[in-house]
Amino acid sequence: MLEIKNLSCRVKGEEENILEDFSLKINDGEVHVLMGPNGTGKSTLAKAIMGHYKYEVVNGDILFDNESILDLDVSERARKGIFLCMQDPTVIEGVSNSEFLRTALGEVTGEKVNLYTFIKDMEKSMEEVSLDNSMLHRSLNLGFSGGEKKKNEILQLKLLKPKFIILDELDSGLDVDSLRVVCKNINDYIKDNPTTSLLIITHYPRILEYIKVDFVHILKDKKILKTGNETLAFEIEKEGFTGVNIMTGNDRNE
Amino acid sequence: MSKILYIVDKDNKDYNYSLKEDTIIYHFSINSSSNVEITLDKEDINLYYYYSGINYNDNYFNIKVIHNKSNTHSEVFNHGVNVKDNVFSFKVDGIVLKDSSKCICNQDNQIINMSDGKSSILPNLIIDNYDVDSNHAAYIGKFRDEDIFYLESRGIRRNSCYKLLLNGFLIGNDVDLDKIKDFLLEIEKV
Repeated sequence: MLEIKNLSCRVKGEEENILEDFSLKINDGEVHVLMGPNGTGKSTLAKAIMGHYKYEVVNGDILFDNESILDLDVSERARKGIFLCMQDPTVIEGVSNSEFLRTALGEVTGEKVNLYTFIKDMEKSMEEVSLDNSMLHRSLNLGFSGGEKKKNEILQLKLLKPKFIILDELDSGLDVDSLRVVCKNINDYIKDNPTTSLLIITHYPRILEYIKVDFVHILKDKKILKTGNETLAFEIEKEGFTGVNIMTGNDRNE
Repeated sequence: MSKILYIVDKDNKDYNYSLKEDTIIYHFSINSSSNVEITLDKEDINLYYYYSGINYNDNYFNIKVIHNKSNTHSEVFNHGVNVKDNVFSFKVDGIVLKDSSKCICNQDNQIINMSDGKSSILPNLIIDNYDVDSNHAAYIGKFRDEDIFYLESRGIRRNSCYKLLLNGFLIGNDVDLDKIKDFLLEIEKV
């Protein structure tokens, strides 16, 4: 599915790399968690995979379904099936949620979207993520609470049906009930689409109580220093990043 | 209930209004210039003016709102898109006369440059009364990279991103689309 090979990247115009010789392989149907202290490059990795304009890859490669995606623009990566659920979704005044979703669906499927079917599908999906129908007609993310923004991201995910999902700090800004709703929708999606892979970026293992994960990686000093299972995440919760001996243990990516 | 007016211009035109009731004016301009002068001639009335212009050559939009009576309220929103490397200029005057107290006089002006055009905004508030609430805002620039990234990250191609953003920028939620068909077609051409 996704393979990152010896990736080094940085903010355009800067000299220092944020990620250095970073490697990670995520197979079909696997759920990976990336944890690490603030400023270690977790969100940078997410944006580099998506092709964010502020970052440049200076070395290495990112393969999706065995093909390099570095030369693809952002929308091409998305249409291949990569979905970045953003930490702080962008507010776009004037562009209605429904017009945005309908356009995105048309572009991703390559088919003309029937308005009646679209609205019916949306109403069902919005109920599933506990979003009020009126939000379809409001400007994109304008005036949405933190929880509503995250639910709106999940709504888009359900609609666009990606193959590889990056959840960048999904749990930030979500109360317990909203987190439960959002995770239930993600689990249902994985159940319906079992080859879908997930990369969960988080500071806290709370989300692991709701989503079953296969691997937990610790990112530090610009690369993955340790890989384990969910026990590692709870160990970090208890001991902190400095308390866990990250130099020992089996690193799946070495 | 406000009176609602629609204007769709393809040629240069000037307008003069003396208002005596609550009024909403939607003014759409395709590559043309206008001088607009509006006087609020009755106490306690409200004016909402929404200007949307698409520009290909050198054009201007000048609007003057005169608060001739007390307790009058004006909100002026001017949105322009400068498509090519030409001049697009706004001159926006909010005027509150000496005997007009407790007025609200606001204006919000934005021009999006789609290439390297020379756009300018002159927001003027000429207030001759101490008891007035008045604000202005002006922005000239391009669509935000962050907005385009977000739209593209959902699979939307660059051209479609611009169409969405242009529609959002130029067409308000309450506009009757049947009345501005020519303008909607023009957005498709940008």
